[in-house]
Amino acid sequence: MINRLQATRFVVDQLTDEPIIASLGNAKFDLFTAKDRPQNFYMWNSMGLASSMGLGLAMARPHQKVIILDGDGALLMNLNSLTTAATRMPQNLIHVIWDNRQFELTGGQPTHTAFRADLGLLARGAGFDKVETIEDQAAFENAFSRALQEPGPWIIVALIGSERATGRPPKSPTFIKHRFMQSLGISPL
Amino acid sequence: MTWPQHIIEQLKAYRIRFLSYVPDAIGEQVLKLARHDDFFDILPLAREEEGIGVVTGLYVGGERGAVLMPTSGVGNTVNGLASLAIPYQIPFPMFIGLRGDLGEFNAAQVPMGQALRPILESLRIPYFVLERPDEVNTMVEGALKLTYALELPVALLISTTLAGWKEEK
Repeated sequence: MINRLQATRFVVDQLTDEPIIASLGNAKFDLFTAKDRPQNFYMWNSMGLASSMGLGLAMARPHQKVIILDGDGALLMNLNSLTTAATRMPQNLIHVIWDNRQFELTGGQPTHTAFRADLGLLARGAGFDKVETIEDQAAFENAFSRALQEPGPWIIVALIGSERATGRPPKSPTFIKHRFMQSLGISPL
Repeated sequence: MTWPQHIIEQLKAYRIRFLSYVPDAIGEQVLKLARHDDFFDILPLAREEEGIGVVTGLYVGGERGAVLMPTSGVGNTVNGLASLAIPYQIPFPMFIGLRGDLGEFNAAQVPMGQALRPILESLRIPYFVLERPDEVNTMVEGALKLTYALELPVALLISTTLAGWKEEK
């Protein structure tokens, strides 16, 4: 099983100024703990929309890799975002899904991946072909490094344990937004 | 110019290049012009709330977008608006083809059509109803100016008076 914080530390250690969209809950908590950087966009709510927001960001910045750190519960709430992204197939998109098969923050209720749903197969069914489902840290590091080097889009389903995340990123949405845009060299439009 | 042509010209004047949509007969009158114009990049959505995420990602990445949707789709966008676009202050226009109002034949469209304005009001999203062809240019230009000044979404409701109502088939 992969440890989400350890894998998140690997992700940020590989990056220079590439932006990350971090889904609500543990994905963003561990991103903050791993490394708070202006290029991190922390979503405080809007469950499911990290995948859609990452698609928009990848469309706006085609010459830079864009990373989404998502969760199984969140993606299951907006599964159609996979079929939408597959109409576009952005080569710069890396969509990492931390799959712990539960809604951890609300008490560990099972998500549908605890039953028969397989996010890797769903991504393939949506139209993606560079899809990896990974269970250990070494394989995760290989897959993520490859995704950074080679054209995507990449879908990396990382099967993680259920360690609780303790990091708490900045709470002001407008602070997060302005810091993020400034780090990409963008003034308010 | 026709009303869809006015909308197209104002989108270009405001450098709104990315159009995300869930189709309806009214929005299609704008999209069919955009499809023949190299300026625009058009993304078909499966569900309207995705559009709120996509346009947010575009905006923080340095590009402006718009979302086109039918009235029923506004119900699908509420959490995306309330928990992403509004708190993070993301400006964009939503073009909404009106159903469930003047000339409606389908009872299942009516409750959402009647709830649309109160929903937008409760979210404090400014909206403008396009009714007369000679007002479209000014109202669209004004709404686009407002959204970027306010740094919040605004809605443009395309009425059946302007676009015609759907005939029962």
